[in-house]
This record gives sequence, structure tokens and C-alpha cells, in this order.
Amino acid sequence: MSMSQPTEPATDGAAATEEAKITTAETEKKADEVVEEEEEEEEYVVEKVLNRRVVKGKVEYLLKWKGFSNEDNTWEPEENLDCPDLIAEYLQKQKSAHEGKRKAVGDADGDESKSKKKKDDNEKLRGFARGLEPERIIGATDSTGELMFLMKWKHSDEADLVPAKEANVKCPQVVISFYEERLTWHSYPSEDEKKEEKN
Amino acid sequence: MPTTSIGGDERISKFKNKGKDLAKLREKRITECVELRKAQKENFFKRRNISLSSLPEDEALSPENGTVSFRIEDIIRDVNCDDRQAQTRGCQAARKLLSKDHDPPMKKIVDAGLLSRFVSFLSLDDEPTLQFEAAWALTNIASGTSWHTQQVVNHGAIPAFINLLTSPMLHIVEQAVWALGNIAGDGAAYRDVLIECNVIPALLAHISPDAPVGFLRNLTWTLSNLCRNKNPCPPMSAVNQMLPSLMQLLHLSDKDILSDACWAISYLSDGSDDRIDVVVKTGIVPRLVELMNNKELCVMTPALRSIGNIVSGSDLHTQMAIDAGVLSVLPNLLRHPKPTVQKEAAWALSNIAAGPCKQIQQLITCGLLPPLVEVLKNGDLKSQREAVWAVTNFTSGGNVEQVVQLVKSGALEAIINLLKVKDAKIILVILEAVNNMFLAAEKLGETERLCLFVEQLGGLEQIEMLQNHANEMVYQAAHNLIEKYFSDGDLEEVQVDAMQNGFVF
Repeated sequence: MSMSQPTEPATDGAAATEEAKITTAETEKKADEVVEEEEEEEEYVVEKVLNRRVVKGKVEYLLKWKGFSNEDNTWEPEENLDCPDLIAEYLQKQKSAHEGKRKAVGDADGDESKSKKKKDDNEKLRGFARGLEPERIIGATDSTGELMFLMKWKHSDEADLVPAKEANVKCPQVVISFYEERLTWHSYPSEDEKKEEKN
Repeated sequence: MPTTSIGGDERISKFKNKGKDLAKLREKRITECVELRKAQKENFFKRRNISLSSLPEDEALSPENGTVSFRIEDIIRDVNCDDRQAQTRGCQAARKLLSKDHDPPMKKIVDAGLLSRFVSFLSLDDEPTLQFEAAWALTNIASGTSWHTQQVVNHGAIPAFINLLTSPMLHIVEQAVWALGNIAGDGAAYRDVLIECNVIPALLAHISPDAPVGFLRNLTWTLSNLCRNKNPCPPMSAVNQMLPSLMQLLHLSDKDILSDACWAISYLSDGSDDRIDVVVKTGIVPRLVELMNNKELCVMTPALRSIGNIVSGSDLHTQMAIDAGVLSVLPNLLRHPKPTVQKEAAWALSNIAAGPCKQIQQLITCGLLPPLVEVLKNGDLKSQREAVWAVTNFTSGGNVEQVVQLVKSGALEAIINLLKVKDAKIILVILEAVNNMFLAAEKLGETERLCLFVEQLGGLEQIEMLQNHANEMVYQAAHNLIEKYFSDGDLEEVQVDAMQNGFVF
């Protein structure tokens, strides 16, 4: 992109986009670059927009010229410029402040704090509190100090312990079945000599 | 009536239990243990692998003896009736269902139309149990998707919860804080609604040295959600209200409080210079640098992110971080075993390297070059990418002597080795660095020596190959380099003299 005077149409026929004409040793091409002939023989191509200021109500941009060092940077009024992309690029960078500075991109890779949190139950639901229907008792123990049944629930693979006292009330038939299945008869070496009857 | 006779006695004694001593029988029954039988293979033993997700809550028994039912119908009936006990029972049942690890039935509860009742319970100051259960249930629904949170808000939860912040019962206040945190965390819209409703002063009023740690944790987390999200950022007035309290919280020692307070700062510093300005003006920077050294990853990570944000600000902001000692902490983080920490540290370094010469000099003095080169060589791809930016920024802003130092540290060799990555953007950044190094060499009249060095490192070969790269900008940049610096006939063997400011290797 170069400055000031209106563009001369490129002779190689690209009407919609202005194409670069090469007259110096510069070989670099950019789609939005315009090189035009001016009164002077050298061509000035804007490499970058570095800064912006307002002087007497007019917007000016500090330009870095291609092929020149930073000591040759100049301020040019906005209306003289025809490099909207470079200006846009500069303005975009201002949102992220300073030249070379880059803002954080995206989340901290999943390390971030949760945006929402569910409060879990302190005690897990167990036994009858799970709200399931008893299927059968598959075992019993009193190692906890009170008699407990190991309950198989309908539609669940996870059996757990329930107090016998609770089961006796809530599912007496299931309890009875458990006991009935396990009834055994033993003979005792008493005065009666009877055969053992086993169910 | 049984008659006894001699024959009858004998017959009777043959019967199972008749005729036997009653006490003995009883004893026998009592002393016998129940046997566990595993003889028969039961079907369910084979089906152990089936998951529990098919737990149907509605198959619970109907309530007997006042125990809790988990059937939706019962919960609905209880919650909707007028008896406080039943309401509490139903609410608690709902709360327990909603607190399950696995698939809490949030939508079911919403669709059952229970939310308006729950919200109405929040205002019953003389029924703290009911308030608490309702608050907990609503908290968990609000912890779901945006739709869930919206349902909670649409039933008037926001003013109800804000009112609960003045409850005399701390556990109820805490629950309200949690619920409000979930609502704020949904996004900028609800966050700003809460701020409009003056939630911040009500929350801050609860910060005191006597507050229990668990309570403060929830409070800090909710505050962080009020700082969170952009487009738009939280209003400046809200930020200014929260900052002093965040400062206070940052001086505590509980790691969860510190973590969330640092996250809050990281959100607040993630923005334009004026946002960063407000943060650094609190004087928080030294404490943040200190927390970058914290042994807990959950504290160090957001502290590092905050400092990274601050040094992406103005030169003044960056200088504040340097003055607070960030350069002595960064080397450890550049060598941290966790790749994301290395990456964030390299990113922060790249932003400091984008500063003026004076700050670049401080980078050198504080020994940041060796760990930088290590990341270039050994880091994972993301860390290497950030480190490359650091090198290029350095070459762009550094003076000639500083660039020489950089080359001497091994950075040029390291970035040349990275020219084979697939990422075109990084290749461009590397080529820019190389270009800048040549510009520095030009000022010293040392371009030929640098050419030779680059060639020795295999760089010339790489750059030549890059002229065939698919990416247009890459091959152009590579071509330019070759044209400018490598095409003046054959490179002659140059004697390497020990010049003070030359590229001596």
C-alpha cells in the first residue's frame, strides 16, 4: 500500500483488486498492496502501521516504510492513506494493547475453576433409602452387632445390608422365605433315636 | 382331645416336635446359626456387570412408618400439600435425589412443576429446615446446563436467594451463596443481573476473620464467578467493589480460598489496559508473584495466569511485575514438570520480551535465557510455540548486544531445529527472528559470519527447503532470507576472530 495520490489502474488488467507493480528489486507481493508511480522515482510502500494520534482533530498514523529503518518512520494523515487492512490490523492489536504483547488465548487448558458446582450428599443412599423393591434376602450377618440381611433388590445388581428389624416390618414375606429356605432339622443324641429329617 | 395310651405315647414321640422337651427345642432354635448357602448358582451372580444407571426411583415402596419415599408422585404430593412436615419430607426427598452422584433427575423435578414451590419455601424464615432443603435442591438444579439454571431463575430464585443472604443461620446463607454462584457462573447475562440486584455488598458483608473456612471457600468461589466471563466484562463499579475483599482473601492461607481468589484476579486482569490497571493499583502484584511459587498447583496455576495477563499490559504494568520479583520465579516454572505450566510461563516470558530494551536486559541479567533455550529444545509443542514467540519478540525489541547474547545462548540453534514443525505460523515467527538477527548482524558488519553459523547449524538447508513450502507466506519469507543474505556468490570461509561484540561461537 502506498500513499496519497489516487491509483493509476494497473495495466495488466486486474480491475477489482489493485496489483503490485514491480519496479525495484522488491519481489514481495501482497494481495492488497498497491504500488503507484509518483512524482519521485522511488516508491514508498507502507510496511506497517505503528501508532495513532489525533492532531488538531485529525487522525494521523505512524507508518513504518518498507525498505527503510525505524528512524525513517513518519506520521501521515488518515485521509492520505489507502491501506485499510494495515490500519485495521493496528487497531485490532490495540485491543490487545502493545506491539508484541499477546493476550491469553482461551482457557487455561481445563485447569480452570468450575463454573458451576453441584452439592453432593454426604451420606450415600443405602438400603431401603434407595427406594427399591426387595427381591430376596441372600445372606445374613450379625457381625455389626445387630442382625443384618444382605438384600438383593429388584432391577439392581448392587445388594446391600439392611437391619433385620426394618426388613421384618417392610417385607415380612421376603424374610419368611429366607428363613424357610434355610430350615434344617437335626436329630439330637437324646433318649429318642430318630432319623434326621431334612427338608 | 388327644387320648393317651401306651401306644399313643410311642407314636407321639415319633412326631417332629411333640413330646420333646420344650426348653430343649427352644434352645436348639436359638443356638442354631443361620447358614449361608452358596450351593446353587443364582442368576444375579452372572449379571454383576450391569450398570446401576437403570435405578428406577419410582419403584420405591410407598411410605410406611413415616419413612422417606423417593417416588416422584409422593414427592409432588408432599411438596404441594399444606402441611409443613410433609413439605419438608418431600423437599428433602427431592434434595437427596438431586444430590445423587449418578444421573440426578433434574429435568423430572423441573417438569413436575416443583420449582415455584421450592422458591416459595425460601422465604419461610420460621422454617429453616425447609428453607435449607429447598435451597439445596435449587442449588443442584442450577448446577446443570444453561436450561436448568434458566428454569431456576425464571421461577424467581434470584431475589429469594439474595434475601437469604441475611438469614441468621450461617448454613442457610452458605447455601444461598452457593446457589448464587451457580447462577452467576452461567454467563455474563445472569452475572450482571445479580450485580444489578446488589448482590455484591450483601456477599462482602460476610467476610470476617471469624467466618468458617468452608463458608469462605464458597463465598470466594461465588465472587470469582462474579468476576468471570467477558463480552461484556463485569462492570467497573462491581470490580472496584470486589477488589479490596479479594485482596483480603488473597492473604489467607487456605489453598481453596487462594485458588479461587487467584482465579478471580486472573479473570479481572484478562482484558484491556484499564482493566489491568485497576488490578495492579491494589498493590496485589507482589502477593501474586509469591503465590506463583506456592506448592499447590491449584494456587500456582491461576497466580501464573494472572501475572501472565498483567505482563501482557503496558510496559509499566510489566515493570511492576519485574519489580515484584517475577523474573526469579519464572525459571522454575519454565522447568516445571507439568507442560501447561511451562507453556504459561513461556507465554509470560514472551510478553516480557516484547518490552523495551531495559526490560530485555533484565531478562538476561536474571538468567532467563538458559531456561528459555531448554524449553525450545525439550518442551512440548505448545510450550515451544510460546518460547519461539519469546525469541522473536526479543530480537525485535532488543539492541544489538542483546541479540548477540541471545544467539550465544543457543537460541538460534534451537529455533532452527524447530523449522521442521508443521505449524506455518510458527515457521513464520522463526523466520522473522532469523531476519531480525541478520538485521543486528548488519549493524555490526557480521552478516557473513552469521550466514556461516546458520549454515553450520543446518539452517540454510532448512530455509532453502522452506522455499517449497505449501504456505505462500512461508515460502516468500524463506525466499527473501535466501535472497537477502545467502545469495552473494559462494560463502567464503571466514576466520573466526575473537571480537568482543561479534558473533563469536
